[in-house]
Amino acid sequence: MHAIKRQSPVMFPARPLQTDLRDHWEVALSLDEEGPGPWLVDLCHQPRWDLQDGRVGDMQPGGLAVPEAPGACRLENQLLINRMNGTQAAVWFLGSGAAPVPADAAGYTDVTEATLFLALFGPRVFEVTEHLTNLDLGTPQRRTPFLLQGPLAHVPCQAVVLARGEDGSGGMLLACSRGYAHDMVHVILSAGAAHGLRPAGENRFKTWLADLDRHQAGPNHRQ
Amino acid sequence: MKRIQDLPTLRIDPTQGRSLTFEGRPYQGYAGDTVASALFAGGIRVFGRSLKYHRPRGLYSLDGECSNTCVAVDGIPNVRAETTLLKDGMRVTAQNVKGSARFDLMGFMDKLDWLMPAGFYYRTLHKPAAIWPLAMKQVRKAAGLGIMAPDFKMPGRYDEIYPTADVCVIGGGAAGMTAALAAAESGLRVVLLEMRPWLGGSFDYRVQPCADGRPLHERARELARQVAETPQIRCFTQTAMVGAYSNNLITAFQVGGNEDPFDERYIEIRAQSVVVATGCIERPLLFDHNERPGVMQAGCAQRLARTYGILPGKEAVFSVGHDLGLETALDLCDLGVRIHCVADCRQDGQDPELLQALAEHSIPVLTGWVAAKAHGGRHVKGVTLATVEGTVKRRLACDLLVASAGLTPVNGPLILAQAPLAYDAHTGYFLPTALPAKMFTAGRMTGRNHPAAIEASGRNAGLRAAAACGADNGAARAEASSALEALPGPERGSKLVTAPVRGRKSFICFDEDATVKNVKQAVAMGFDVPELIKRFTSAGTGPGQGGIPGHNLPLVTARMTASAATPKPTTVRPPLVPTYLATYAGRHHTMTKRTPVHDAQAAAGGIFRRIGVWERARYFSDDQDCREEILNVRRNVGLLDASTLGKFRLHGPDALRALQRVYVSDMRKLSPGRIKYSAMCNDDGCVIDDGVVVKRTENDYYFTTSTARAGQTIEWIRYHTRYDDWAFHLVNLTDAMGVVNIAGPKARQVLEKVADTDVSSTAFPFAAYREFTIKSEIPVRAMRLGFVGELSYELHAASSWMPALWEILEEAGQALGVKPFGVEAQNVLRMEKGHIILGQESEQRTNLLDLGLGFLWDRTKSDAKTVGAVALRQAEHDADRLKLVGLRMEDNASAPRDGSIIVDERIRGYVCTARKSFTTGEAVGMALVDAPLAGLGTRLAIFEDESDGQLRYARVVAMPFYDPEGARMKM
Repeated sequence: MHAIKRQSPVMFPARPLQTDLRDHWEVALSLDEEGPGPWLVDLCHQPRWDLQDGRVGDMQPGGLAVPEAPGACRLENQLLINRMNGTQAAVWFLGSGAAPVPADAAGYTDVTEATLFLALFGPRVFEVTEHLTNLDLGTPQRRTPFLLQGPLAHVPCQAVVLARGEDGSGGMLLACSRGYAHDMVHVILSAGAAHGLRPAGENRFKTWLADLDRHQAGPNHRQ
Repeated sequence: MKRIQDLPTLRIDPTQGRSLTFEGRPYQGYAGDTVASALFAGGIRVFGRSLKYHRPRGLYSLDGECSNTCVAVDGIPNVRAETTLLKDGMRVTAQNVKGSARFDLMGFMDKLDWLMPAGFYYRTLHKPAAIWPLAMKQVRKAAGLGIMAPDFKMPGRYDEIYPTADVCVIGGGAAGMTAALAAAESGLRVVLLEMRPWLGGSFDYRVQPCADGRPLHERARELARQVAETPQIRCFTQTAMVGAYSNNLITAFQVGGNEDPFDERYIEIRAQSVVVATGCIERPLLFDHNERPGVMQAGCAQRLARTYGILPGKEAVFSVGHDLGLETALDLCDLGVRIHCVADCRQDGQDPELLQALAEHSIPVLTGWVAAKAHGGRHVKGVTLATVEGTVKRRLACDLLVASAGLTPVNGPLILAQAPLAYDAHTGYFLPTALPAKMFTAGRMTGRNHPAAIEASGRNAGLRAAAACGADNGAARAEASSALEALPGPERGSKLVTAPVRGRKSFICFDEDATVKNVKQAVAMGFDVPELIKRFTSAGTGPGQGGIPGHNLPLVTARMTASAATPKPTTVRPPLVPTYLATYAGRHHTMTKRTPVHDAQAAAGGIFRRIGVWERARYFSDDQDCREEILNVRRNVGLLDASTLGKFRLHGPDALRALQRVYVSDMRKLSPGRIKYSAMCNDDGCVIDDGVVVKRTENDYYFTTSTARAGQTIEWIRYHTRYDDWAFHLVNLTDAMGVVNIAGPKARQVLEKVADTDVSSTAFPFAAYREFTIKSEIPVRAMRLGFVGELSYELHAASSWMPALWEILEEAGQALGVKPFGVEAQNVLRMEKGHIILGQESEQRTNLLDLGLGFLWDRTKSDAKTVGAVALRQAEHDADRLKLVGLRMEDNASAPRDGSIIVDERIRGYVCTARKSFTTGEAVGMALVDAPLAGLGTRLAIFEDESDGQLRYARVVAMPFYDPEGARMKM
């Protein structure tokens, strides 16, 4: 028996160059041949919570207020809060270190294990998503970040658009039932093959997110 | 044939040759050619043979409006040569021929049309009934289009995209382009769809001057440049719109070029508003032998010359009903075709400038004349012209007969969008009397033919479509509307229905070989509306849908029935343009779920089957009876992946109330550390789900559902508590938690080795729930259950831990004979124990009591507050219901198949699950039978498929078949 490890449902067809063991997760920090983008990154190890309450709008996970309108998101301090409906929000931690939400807080359920969690970002990334979903990820009516809930590759998903450029570049986070991981990763990589989509390690996403925070912080970024 | 190579309108590149073969002989074309234009340039005039009569067929529209030029390309049948771009090395063969396209041995069928009147296949060869199956085979052999082998594997790369748009413009002609440009002025996202490989529509090949004096083709290219330079406009060429659905969902498919990573792709556009600018096609002229090779429409003839540099003939006669026909005659004359005569079925209304130009070219124009018959065999050699009344006739020799009765709008997209159409007496078109919300029309399909009016109508429609998306463009719209009104409006169209002929060989539908005479026959038999005549004569049911007969059929019907009612066109349905099923299939991805221990089971030899949304290991060897898997569980210990079970957290102050509502048991009796098995019913008392519930802490429950119900459980509970305003929360943990079931008499010995807690029967008794860790690391929720009838533990762990947990258990159990077992082994094991699986031992009609689960129902709960309780109370004393019983076969050799019916004078039930039990050595099973047959010892007669009518017999016996005292579960 080897060391007891937790296993992500994502198996990329790429060799990890650098890994980090984190709470029994072996996180790939970088992969071989990541290419110039766009990229697909496995974030299944990142903590995520379901938050339900009749007055969810009054709650403050990690000290941040839950957005008022369903579909709206708040991203601060690497904590993303997605208002899903009148009584429910999803809380996704995108940073490293201690999780900002206590595991057994009232109304919270740790759903880290429930979903596949991917970041899809980089140049021409929305040309890739166009093969997968009829969700209007490029709508100019919505300010980033925003949440859309609907089918992607015919699977019910939560998609959060973090950034979007006029040239089809940008980035999004994607969550769906964990069991679909194998097929979902396959279908995304297949759809993105002609656009240069490659799997990448966590560092690639963290760097992109940090750049996003530096360059795009402002009224178009936060609500 | 030498091409004209110095035309500014050419779309071929003579510097890039392309080769192809047709019926085994080599031909040459150029980049930009279609298969049809390359073959025509190579001298091919007969592309194939017609459906019934095997008549020779050739180029007619160049837009694939009929099956005339359907060919097989590289083994793919029914490819439209007119619209398929030529690729190097294509192997093309003619369809529906015995011999070759030119010399078809079945050509004699053309003489037998008298044997095949309208609807002959409905009326003849049916009596005696035994004849028809034989006749049908012969009819099918003799007729048809392409042939595809049953094992044919479609080659190619297929894709799908879902672009979103504010405005979708269908049609990339002048009107469509101006509409797109106008809509984009407001910054909206515009998608423009064009079926041809380039934008331009009817302007693309015409040399007539537009308002500023430049030829129309230059104006088309200028507009196309503007479109390309407008970033908000996304243009899809070689893209045919095929469907229109509610809320302006438009579907299309695009044919890929050499540089594209796909051969065809499905496109689905959700647009806020839609502009339909699909223009017009030519209405076929009905006269004798009107589809003989050498007869073609004006646009076809002009495009052959202008787009592909091919003269369509040397000696031409025109029989037309619109000014475009006159324009084409002038143009072809300038390009070198000798025009003997232009017959125009209109008595008046021609453009005087065109008439003047024709006179200057010494081309005689016969107004009020029409082609009555095309002469020749495999190609036109002459034509008989007649006055529209048929009073005078004249015969002329020619090798090209350009024939067209007038124009007709391409209103298929409007029909798909459910726009009502009516005949417009002025234009002679079928025009919409109303348009669906946020849908607009533009261009020639509105009846406008003046170039400036075409563009103005496009701009007007584009601005209105933008306004429908919320654009603030009132001033621009007013200006565009005024500009449009100042230009010439819809033109008067030709009203000619048919030439003065009897119609025996006047084809109204080329695809189906349906003639005007066939329509007469149908009318004579009492069919009086086009939709019925369409079905009886099959006119319009071919691959071209309404392309050729769409306009003429209602007009001919109206004339023959002397109907006073407005003619109505027949319906078209998606796909408007035929495409491959492979295109609809897209990338062929089947999305299924895998459990966290999928790979471990695959490594152990698991054979997977799709069950619902999941891939599950059904067997672990080629033995589909699973003998070793079953016996290992009975004798040693087995591991089952049960991760697909639905798993939920229910928490909050009113969580217990919600449980009480949906479960039939009294959930107040649930105590921490214990498991409660219960069931959910629907309002009819029929069981919809069963599972176990545990109480983890106060107001915090964890429960399981069957795999099939996992997806609906949250909605089910929310629905049945929707008026109560209770504070509880539901979280679906189905994918978050994996489950491994360790089952068998040695299960405890395995668990003892790895669990960080006492798992003895005293510390962890049957029906208990515990939480502990495995190997000090993996937290598990453990339930002691006995679904397979043995000592067993269900370990629920977070999915990321599951591969490690599975490996730990395999390692710990190695010396004890642990082996994985699959779903089929579980199915047999639980059947032996008499445990049911919902869906297997239940169906829509079976309630809780029928299944023998009445013990779960707590009758002290308020009926009105428990879903299904009222119905159960009413059904409790109903003797006329199905009952679940055990059965043992009299012939012990094998069990009947699942689903076999139980019969006496009628069907009295069916076998749910039956297997030869390796444990008991008997063929046993469970069946749902009418209550009177449920008594112990009742003899049941079983009818099994493929049993040659031999009934098999079984007796109703008590269940369970294995360990009736339950000692093994509780050991």
